[in-house]
Amino acid sequence: MDHRYSTFSWAVAVGIVLSAAASSTGQTPASGASAAANKSGSSSTSWKAPRTADGRPDLGGVWTNNNITPLERPKQWQGKAVLTEQELAELKQLAAGVVEGGDDAIFGDNLVLLALERKKNATSRDGCAGRAVTEECATSGNYNAFWLPTRDFHNPRTSLVIDPADGRIPALTPEAQQRAKAAAEHRRLHPADGPEDRPFGERCLAFGVPRLQAAYMSYMQLFQTTTHVGILNELGYETRIVPVDGAAHIGGSIRQWKGDSRGRWEGDTLVVETTNFPQKGAFMNATDALRLVERFTRVSPDILNYEVTINDPKTWEKPWTILIPLKRSSDQVYEFACHEGNHGMAGILAGARAEERALTQSSEGSTP
Amino acid sequence: MPSRKRRRPRLIGVAMAAIAVVSAVSVGAVIGRSQAARPSTAQPDLPNLNGIWQALNEANFDLEPHPARAAMSLRQDQPYNVTTNIPSPPVVALGAVGSVPGGIGVVDGGSIPYRPEALVKKRDNQKNWLERDPEIKCYLPGVPRATYMPYPFQIVQSPTSMMFLYEYAGAVRTISFKDPGPPPVDSWMGQSVGRWEGQTLVIDVTGFNDQTWFDRAGNFHSDKLHVTERYTRLTNEHLMYEAIIEDPEVFTRPWKITMPLYRRMEKNASLVEFRCVEFVEELLYGQLRKKPLAN
Repeated sequence: MDHRYSTFSWAVAVGIVLSAAASSTGQTPASGASAAANKSGSSSTSWKAPRTADGRPDLGGVWTNNNITPLERPKQWQGKAVLTEQELAELKQLAAGVVEGGDDAIFGDNLVLLALERKKNATSRDGCAGRAVTEECATSGNYNAFWLPTRDFHNPRTSLVIDPADGRIPALTPEAQQRAKAAAEHRRLHPADGPEDRPFGERCLAFGVPRLQAAYMSYMQLFQTTTHVGILNELGYETRIVPVDGAAHIGGSIRQWKGDSRGRWEGDTLVVETTNFPQKGAFMNATDALRLVERFTRVSPDILNYEVTINDPKTWEKPWTILIPLKRSSDQVYEFACHEGNHGMAGILAGARAEERALTQSSEGSTP
Repeated sequence: MPSRKRRRPRLIGVAMAAIAVVSAVSVGAVIGRSQAARPSTAQPDLPNLNGIWQALNEANFDLEPHPARAAMSLRQDQPYNVTTNIPSPPVVALGAVGSVPGGIGVVDGGSIPYRPEALVKKRDNQKNWLERDPEIKCYLPGVPRATYMPYPFQIVQSPTSMMFLYEYAGAVRTISFKDPGPPPVDSWMGQSVGRWEGQTLVIDVTGFNDQTWFDRAGNFHSDKLHVTERYTRLTNEHLMYEAIIEDPEVFTRPWKITMPLYRRMEKNASLVEFRCVEFVEELLYGQLRKKPLAN
């Protein structure tokens, strides 16, 4: 049941914002960008980023994460951190086969995972989030491929996670395992008793910092001044304004969905430290102990490396780091009026009440 | 695989070169041509609007001149010999906190030039404020209302682009300095295209839906709304804000509001997150709970 609720809500909530895109012209994928030319994670020695008037690298503009790269390294790539150009080309072919002739939206990491399984004309697995893939949850019927952008293959790495070296997120602490277990049990018993039982994103409260999922409104627009950097994420239309003038963090009693960010320059890298997250955060079940260090570095004309170290000792056994080579985009970032169009929430709750009534009636009917 | 289909490519400056970090020294500099005609390098002669600003007036209660009243929502029947109307039952408990401070108004000429049928709707809106004001539901505020709600907003200004972040609901606008063409889709905050006229930042805002209001008094517009905003830096601590409002479906002529905006002067002044969505879930969805809460 879960997946039907959640996808229904999403479709309605975002449909309003993006419906106009139906008549739009297609975006041409960047051409000629080979893995080697755009090699991520390493800075070319000859290239120097354009500067602002105050001499900082100019980070302004729209950047996207439409990479194929999965968050964690799949078992098929165990022991392999980087793909060769030929392997990337093969992956691209396999990925094209996954959606060949099909019109289903393959979200997030599922595309690369299906490609590695050499699946053809696959249906999405977005109903299987956090569960074993079964035929039931692997069906779709909610989103089609129209909603997703063309994937990029410029990142040769086999996972976004670059630390630990195995490309896998460190183990959950016993406390976090307990939390996850309790949360799963709560979801099972109370899937939609009230709005609080639904995920934060479905409620249009927050989509979490940092943003790791590719290819679904994964656009970031940066605005840069001497004293502040504005970071606007299209998904959720959430904005952070990061002082880079040495201002102190706000008080510890003020907890925010997006935390409280403070920036500084380390050479040509913008370093942003974020604290003040809520006890129950929107990022991967992290807590108020979450501390992020984001590092923004331009490494080539079209690539902005976005490296994030995630540290929450209440949730993971040790800190972990991801690297996403964001790509410059000529796209426009659109308003995401999530809450305003969230007819899905009323539909989810009303649907759950209707199911309960039907269950009551059928059990009454079967009682002699 | 399909592309993310977009109406048109975004126009990005080759280099969003440095901010117009205009020091006090350059404020008096003579400004000539418009932004569009300038190279996208540092523009030290443009006014620096960076900072946290806030209106300090009663405009969000009612743009027009109005005396103080007991509440936004008033009883339609007035059974007693009262000198002021009695609040409607749902807001009685708020007492003086729920009352409306009087204001001298911010509309040039005093009143808003409604078409007759639109004035009827405005009055109906006001009577049904509790059900209709989008602010109550934490919906995005639109322009110009975002400017004078009782929350600060922050401007992040670079020479080629600019962002306004409003504390209320985390509403945000990006201001483009190259005309991206007609808005591809209606939105709550509209499409903002900026230019400089001398020392004044002028923003054309179009592409609105018809869902936002101008205040808590039921003043409204259609999706034909066109707002021309003018931000003029008076001192380091003051901006003068004007908004010309055109909407031939609702008003007989364009009209204008004018008000100063003030810099928030606190040390470490900062917007504090105001994601009000969660605050209104009980209002919007409470009756759909498995166990609705008792009153």
